[in-house]
Amino acid sequence: MITNPNEHRLFSIPKKYIYFGLTAGLFLLLIWRLFYLQIYTTQKYCLQSQKNHIREVTLEPLRGLIYDREGKVLVENTPAYSVYGIPHELSHTPHVLDRLSGILNLSVSEIRKNVKERQHGRFSPVRLKRQVSFKEVSLLEENKLLFPGVGVWVDPKRHYPSSAHAAHVLGYIGEISTGELKKLAEKGYKRGDIIGKRGLEAEYDQDLRGKEGLEYVEVDALGRQIRKLKSEKSIPPVPGKNLILGLDADLQSLAENRLKGKRGSVVLLDARDGSVLALASMPDYDLKEFSGVITNKIWDKYFKNPENPMYNRAVQSSYPPGSTYKPIAAIGGLDSKIITKDFTVTCRGYLRYGRRNYYCWYKKGHGTLDLIHGIENSCNVYFYTLGAKIGVDVWADYSRRFHFGMKTGIDLPSENSGLVPDRQYLDKKFGKDKWSKGLMLNMAIGQGDLLVTPLQMAQLAMILGNDGLGYRPHLVIGIQDPLTLVTNPVKIDSFRVNVDPKNIQIVKEGMRLVVNGPTGTGHRARLPDVLVAGKTGTTQNPHGKDHAWFIGFAPFEHPEVAVAVMIENGGYGGSVAAPIAHDLFQLYFQKHPRQPNVSGEVAMKDKPTVHTP
Amino acid sequence: MESITTKTIKRFDWILLLTMLCLLVVGVLAIYSATYNSGSSNLKQNYERQIIWAALGGVLFLTMAFLHFKYYQAFAYVLYGFSIVLLLFVLAIGKMGGGAVRWISIGGLKFQPSEWAKLFTIIALARYLSDHTNQIRSPKVLITAFAIGLLPMALIFEEPDFGTSLVFAAIIPSILFWADVSPLALFLIAAPFLTMIASFNFYSFFADMMLLVGVLYFVKRPLIFSAANVLLNLFVGIMTPFMWNSLHAYQQKRILTFLGLVSDPKGLSYQIIQSKVAIGSGGLWGKGFLHGTQTQLRFLPAQHTDFIFSVIGEEFGFIGAMAVLFLFVLLLYRGFKLSAASKNNFASLVGIGITTMFLYHAVVNIGMATGIMPVTGLPLPFVSYGGSFLLMSMASMGILENISIRKYEY
Repeated sequence: MITNPNEHRLFSIPKKYIYFGLTAGLFLLLIWRLFYLQIYTTQKYCLQSQKNHIREVTLEPLRGLIYDREGKVLVENTPAYSVYGIPHELSHTPHVLDRLSGILNLSVSEIRKNVKERQHGRFSPVRLKRQVSFKEVSLLEENKLLFPGVGVWVDPKRHYPSSAHAAHVLGYIGEISTGELKKLAEKGYKRGDIIGKRGLEAEYDQDLRGKEGLEYVEVDALGRQIRKLKSEKSIPPVPGKNLILGLDADLQSLAENRLKGKRGSVVLLDARDGSVLALASMPDYDLKEFSGVITNKIWDKYFKNPENPMYNRAVQSSYPPGSTYKPIAAIGGLDSKIITKDFTVTCRGYLRYGRRNYYCWYKKGHGTLDLIHGIENSCNVYFYTLGAKIGVDVWADYSRRFHFGMKTGIDLPSENSGLVPDRQYLDKKFGKDKWSKGLMLNMAIGQGDLLVTPLQMAQLAMILGNDGLGYRPHLVIGIQDPLTLVTNPVKIDSFRVNVDPKNIQIVKEGMRLVVNGPTGTGHRARLPDVLVAGKTGTTQNPHGKDHAWFIGFAPFEHPEVAVAVMIENGGYGGSVAAPIAHDLFQLYFQKHPRQPNVSGEVAMKDKPTVHTP
Repeated sequence: MESITTKTIKRFDWILLLTMLCLLVVGVLAIYSATYNSGSSNLKQNYERQIIWAALGGVLFLTMAFLHFKYYQAFAYVLYGFSIVLLLFVLAIGKMGGGAVRWISIGGLKFQPSEWAKLFTIIALARYLSDHTNQIRSPKVLITAFAIGLLPMALIFEEPDFGTSLVFAAIIPSILFWADVSPLALFLIAAPFLTMIASFNFYSFFADMMLLVGVLYFVKRPLIFSAANVLLNLFVGIMTPFMWNSLHAYQQKRILTFLGLVSDPKGLSYQIIQSKVAIGSGGLWGKGFLHGTQTQLRFLPAQHTDFIFSVIGEEFGFIGAMAVLFLFVLLLYRGFKLSAASKNNFASLVGIGITTMFLYHAVVNIGMATGIMPVTGLPLPFVSYGGSFLLMSMASMGILENISIRKYEY
């Protein structure tokens, strides 16, 4: 009989040692395991535990502002309200959805859809509606207790306080598209980013956007934010840089008003540095409608509009320039020594060339004209004759010397380079030498295949005004650091055209007469106290009324501004386009009165005697 | 009288009591930390409840320590029968309700019969084996003993509470071995279960069969006997895949997840991963009381109950974990030692059974929290939150003290 189990042995070992041994073995296993976890691989688990409870949160920087040259704000940020909801809480409270639906003007199913599509986790807030009105926000805030899991966010949105719209210049912003993302991913853009879509917003996106900041927050197992962490790794967001434009809001506003109801564009350049004082295109679009969600209604209104309001006609459209282009043929003739300024032509209202008649706009005929008066009267017969004399090669050569057929390099996206038809082009179009020399007659008066942008024409006016000196047209004149307020001026690119300034001066004399001469076609651009020079253009248009053109610069002696006005189907350049240029010049010189001791002397004193034809 | 009191005080295992009190303090602190940030005021009161349970447990402990073991030896079968009835009752409620039920609610107090079934089965087994010490190697005694042990185990498995039922798989062989049942018989009985586990993999199955054949060869029993055993094990090994399919889906999943055969990042392995991250990130010294990010931000599942050890590991580090391990080793050492020293067969067997139960709970719970054992949902004695198990554990400790006090009584 067994009295004490302890006396029993297994293989001569007291049995209690088997229990001790088993206990020791199992605990050694646990100790080894804990050593492995807590000492040997603790680094790995520390990292995992950090990743578990620390989330990186990006902080959106404020987008840079845009100012005009006088410091007036053109684009700024204002708070907009978005309503968000926590999916987890919304899913438990269907009656809250009903109430929300009433306030937000969204159906319950729409709210559900938004939650479903945008949800990132049961506890991360989802935007239910953007651009909620102040009334809706106050309703929500006052009845907070009725809306558990619902809140209001402030998202900055673009705001345009100026009376000048400059929609095409400024452009708008929006969420990055898949196509844009593909192109820009390596530049650090990512899904959901806001990006400039058009205009300066697009061109200067990298400057305007700023840099995202990083913040670290502690979250619990459900992803709920517990607190912000102070970390040396957190980075404050860097606000985007401000753009200082050469634009003058008053001039811009005037240009827009004068274009209202028309289709066309105006470019006003500072002739002394190429900065853009005004650049307007009509019809335009309302930037305010693009500052939030772009609804289908807005999309249809603008993108399906046959008048193409989204198009910046000053930069993206090209037209035949008509008579405003005559200076090129004149300078080409003079500079290549084919003619002198005394070369005369007798206009009987038409020119017989080949087997057809080429008509002057003045059917009665201008009589005998020299170059200057040929320009003053914009005599077609004079320029038909001149065109035939200089030929395509010289004409195309001088067109290029004045930077036609190439982009001006303005800081706007999708600039059109226009088209200068040359021998090569004509050979290609009509077959080698199969084209009539008569084509050249039309091209000399700015008709035919030649295409220019209004911006190129303003640039031409600037170059002519400066006797051959040009500056690259540019909108942004300075980029400002929003923190230090230090502005870095943008480098001004200047160029000189390869033409003898004396020849330009001859043509300029004609342009002075266009505005100031007794028979000048552009007399409506005349100012009482500042000498204006210019050239009108009326371009025949197979599709409708003529296009009206005017280019000019002022003051004549030391030009400060250069302009191009183009009105599609507007009619006569002299009667439609020139008055707009007049108004712009007038406002400019009102804002910048002639100082008698500085430049006043040149304004009136040296007023040349008016030639009579 | 005085000499008896002095003897009692001298024979009282103060180290065992002190170890238990230390573990209780660690437990209350860990529960406090685990529910500190829970946001639920109900959960936050858990540490207070645990203190109340511990106080009640203290009364039970003292009662059991000073109530002579001969009383519950006398009532062993009554207590056992009572726990079987309760288990059947729980099972019946569960079957009617169509889900897993492990609790009986009496006047708002929840009570888990399976916890008490462990202790009462130990007592009943000890009673039976100590009554039959002279026939200990007879098959009848062996079979009866197994039946006593397996009945509650089967009922608990049916609840279903796989984890708790497995505790019996540790207690029964341990008591039988101590009661001097033939080790070969125990091995041959355990062999089919080993085979069951081994049969999931061909190589382990092969090794298992080789072990069986090796042991049978070594003990030199009749060929028929050996062959029968080998055939039985072959049969079990082949049948196991079919039996596997009769398990509950979540039971299968737990076993499979542990074996690394399925991945469920947010399911069960999520618990294991988060627990490992908590313990591993604790490092040598821990993140400090109430400063464990895993604990305080509630990444840990069941952190105040089954995964309480991960709270300790995270906030008190390797040092804290070693301290807890040391307390358990001390407790188990004292438990086995005093059980072995008892002159009374019944008391000795009860002591071995109780200590084995604590050993199993501690090793499996910590092994689960550190990711080396399957998540079977076993609490850590004296540390995990939970009334039934704490009361039963403290009553068991009282019994161990009783055995210690009366270790020279036959």
